[in-house]
Amino acid sequence: MTGLLPILILLTSLVPAAITFFLAQESYRLRNALNLGGALMKVGLIVVMLFAVAGGASYETDIALAPGLVLLLRIDALALLFVSLSASLWLLTTIYAIAYFGKKAEQSRFFGFFSLCVFATTGIALSGSLISFFMFFELLTLSTWPLVAHKQNAASLKAARSYLSYALPCSTVLLVAIVWLESSTGPILFTDPPDLSGVDPVSLRVIFALFIIGVGMKAAIVPLHGWLPAAMVAPAPVSALLHAVAVVKAGAFGVIRVVYDVFGVDRVEELGVGVPLAALASVTIIWGSLRALQQTEIKKRLAYSTISQVSYILLGAALASPFAVVGGLAHLVHQGLMKITLFFCAGIYDERAGVRSIEGLNGLGWRMPWTSTCFSLGALGMIGLPPIAGFVSKIYLGIGGLQADAAWVLWVLGASTLLNAAYFLPLLYRLWYCEAAPDVEADETAPALVAPTVAAALAALLAGLLAASEISPLGWATLIAERDYLQ
Amino acid sequence: MTLWTGPILPMVALTWPLLLGALTALPAMRRFAVRLLPLAPLPALWLAIMGGQGVTTAPDLLLGVTLDLDEARRLLLGMTSALWAVAGLAAQPMAGKPHATMFSGFWCLVLAGNLGVFMALDVATFYVAFAAVSLASWFLIVHDRSEKALHAARVYIVIALLGEVALLLGLIIGAHAAQSMAIDEIRMAFGDKPLNTVAIALLVIGFGIKAGLVPLHVWLPLAHPAAPVPGSAVLSGAIVKAGLFGLLLFLPDGAFGLTLMILGLTGAFGAALWGLTQANPKAVLAYSTISQMGLMVMAVGAGGAARETVPYFALHHGLAKGALFLLVGVMMAARSSGQRILSLVLAAVVSASVAGFPLTGGALAKAGVKDGLTDMTTLALSLSSVATGLILLWFLSRLWDVKSSDGTGIWAFQVSLPAALALAAFVTPWLLWSDWTGHEPSYMLKWDSLIDGLWPVAIALAASAVLLRWQLPQLPPGDLLQLLGRWQPRTMTLPDLPPLRPDRRKAASVLRERATEMEGMLIRWRFTGVAVPLLVLLVFAILT
Repeated sequence: MTGLLPILILLTSLVPAAITFFLAQESYRLRNALNLGGALMKVGLIVVMLFAVAGGASYETDIALAPGLVLLLRIDALALLFVSLSASLWLLTTIYAIAYFGKKAEQSRFFGFFSLCVFATTGIALSGSLISFFMFFELLTLSTWPLVAHKQNAASLKAARSYLSYALPCSTVLLVAIVWLESSTGPILFTDPPDLSGVDPVSLRVIFALFIIGVGMKAAIVPLHGWLPAAMVAPAPVSALLHAVAVVKAGAFGVIRVVYDVFGVDRVEELGVGVPLAALASVTIIWGSLRALQQTEIKKRLAYSTISQVSYILLGAALASPFAVVGGLAHLVHQGLMKITLFFCAGIYDERAGVRSIEGLNGLGWRMPWTSTCFSLGALGMIGLPPIAGFVSKIYLGIGGLQADAAWVLWVLGASTLLNAAYFLPLLYRLWYCEAAPDVEADETAPALVAPTVAAALAALLAGLLAASEISPLGWATLIAERDYLQ
Repeated sequence: MTLWTGPILPMVALTWPLLLGALTALPAMRRFAVRLLPLAPLPALWLAIMGGQGVTTAPDLLLGVTLDLDEARRLLLGMTSALWAVAGLAAQPMAGKPHATMFSGFWCLVLAGNLGVFMALDVATFYVAFAAVSLASWFLIVHDRSEKALHAARVYIVIALLGEVALLLGLIIGAHAAQSMAIDEIRMAFGDKPLNTVAIALLVIGFGIKAGLVPLHVWLPLAHPAAPVPGSAVLSGAIVKAGLFGLLLFLPDGAFGLTLMILGLTGAFGAALWGLTQANPKAVLAYSTISQMGLMVMAVGAGGAARETVPYFALHHGLAKGALFLLVGVMMAARSSGQRILSLVLAAVVSASVAGFPLTGGALAKAGVKDGLTDMTTLALSLSSVATGLILLWFLSRLWDVKSSDGTGIWAFQVSLPAALALAAFVTPWLLWSDWTGHEPSYMLKWDSLIDGLWPVAIALAASAVLLRWQLPQLPPGDLLQLLGRWQPRTMTLPDLPPLRPDRRKAASVLRERATEMEGMLIRWRFTGVAVPLLVLLVFAILT
């Protein structure tokens, strides 16, 4: 049974995906039941495993795909952090998506690829070896494409093409990095760090850079971020789950794996590549915020904000001091909760009020109080206002920066806080203090859209309010760091 | 999960206002929102009267909440909750007016933050509480949404956010230096030589903004008058004390002493004199607040015994300044000349106390601080009483010019509120005098003390006779801000990064041409036959 668990978890997304592709557009009920059932089952399995892993258990399964090519699935604390985030948000997004699409066309294709993406994300999280990671990573690359192109208009197709033009070269780079490294070390498992002493430092530095390019593209590091704002033409559930959480987090998760499980903290420090990575993350944080300021479309502004915030995770991983690691890992969850809330809200504004631009938000606060309250919570959390989750990450990253003798990180955090305030507060002001245009028709009588939004916002609030408890993202991140990285 | 350990009252004192604030959001409660306000600070007031009974911890909340009271905390908590309770009563005529519900909700949030600042033992709780009191007071300032209020609120939020960031960074450096989240340990870590200059400077900026420290005070004369009267009372009486208390909590004794004393005295005199150019009585009071806060910051900088008595000074100022702001509202509501005269007399009595007239609470507060000061600063403190006397006489004359406009509610009830605060500002310093200064009450009856309090007021009276004739220019509030001119937000344009594919069509055609060329080269066996083995060798050389 225990060996089957990782496979079962994967199947909860793969089976709905496989069946959904063959369903007719009209079989709404079956399709919804399949997807919701899969998501519920997955959350259930994860709850069971959370208790087991907290008690010290870990699960491992290997499937031989070809001679010498083993698909290794493994559930450790870090994997579980990412899986439980993506699974619970998948459940929320599925509810949201069912309401969002209503009777719109091509739903089987959408939900099929959507579940496939979640399957790939789960696979990335559970991968126990570099090659398994790569396979799922590429599956994610490809299965995202139909979702970006979903609306099939010129803009969507252009954005989807742009996405591939970023993703495919970077995948190639990643493959080169893997092959180069594994040719001298043999297959790399995340459980036992590879012996890199046979490879000369210059090559190692180049390989590290290739790895960062390969996985960092998904985390939208500058200058490989251009695809993300363009991909905002996708339907709201895609922007919410994939572009705020799954895809970008897969990139960030990949960077964490590379730094901690492929190279190892000590080697990264020895090679002197940690500081350049932290600097790159900092540049991304600032650049993303500056660009967000200039956007006049809500989703675009949120996308640039994502670019900026995801690099907090990379910053934590690169600094590699105890608090920075914990802060970065916790931010993986915090940012996901807050950003999905914001994207859910952006989708509701679009669907229920026809509002996409920032000017359109004027006065919507009192017309759509639930949505707007959630939006405000998410935005304030992004700025780092307590007690919403964001401030916890900031404090931990700041202390972590000092622990790593990188006091400049504090200025990055400070500047980012102010920039976040500069691009989010005007939106809140518009929502609650400006007069609405008289002809705006806005209502939020769509419980299936609003309820997941409220749930995500509440989770973001509780993650900060109860940060010190063991079950919070921070508590779990501390557990991971203590167990795996800070012996 | 442990909800809490230790006495429950501190937890109740903090969560009760939050609960009431949340209740105001319920549609059924909207009509009663304002009615709840006087109830919000009652548990905290009870706690202050009872005193701390040990540390309360809530290990799962935030980053581990710890609360307790010592004597200074208890005094400020008592003053703050009493002022908030009275101001909550004074807010009652707002019931049913536009935006009253929103005002009530955020009133409760600011209150909870203000109380939390005085109770937090750990830096995370302190930061959360400070952020609440600092940023949520934006809603008190912007309340009536007039052009003036919006401008004040805009200036305020920019400065408050800067302060919040400075504070966060300073606290992070402190927590790292102390390897602890406990405030006491952070202060001790800061005290170790060499001083952590950057961190302390950041904290002085963060707290100084809130405490109206010159030159970070520019928001205050705009914001305090912009809020409705009860809001101004808590802003000027209680909320500024959060910044002052932050300085007391985190700065080691004597750190940045000279800087703080110079800035404090600059504020004490500069603001009092600048206030004479203001027409709006609330703006005059706001400048008086900056001036009084300057004195307290000066005492913090002086260190030693003077620093110890700052909470005692703050107690009197909070109650008295609250009373003065409420009296502006009472004057607006006065309907007969008898009522107007009574308001003015009451304001005059409280003003005399703030200026340190002998035997008043203010005289005791000043005498307490003077005890720990050197000769020079003692003289400065006495001279500042002249300035205070002047600005408050100017305030009285401006108050008399206030037109009755707001004739709702029962006037007798309204006037009883500042009267109660004035009484408290007189009685509590006497009750606590021996505990805080170690002197007998008879100390204040000595000729020295009496004359000490009397001469500045006498000089101020004489000077004001000249001043009221001699028309000073009337200037808009905000002094240094005027130098910056009206800040206009400008749209910023950044160049976008060059796209990854500069020109697809051109690139494709170039690629095609190159590919044909390459193909032509590759199909020649002479070339490939050499190149492939070389490539293999090269790969091997790299990999082995």
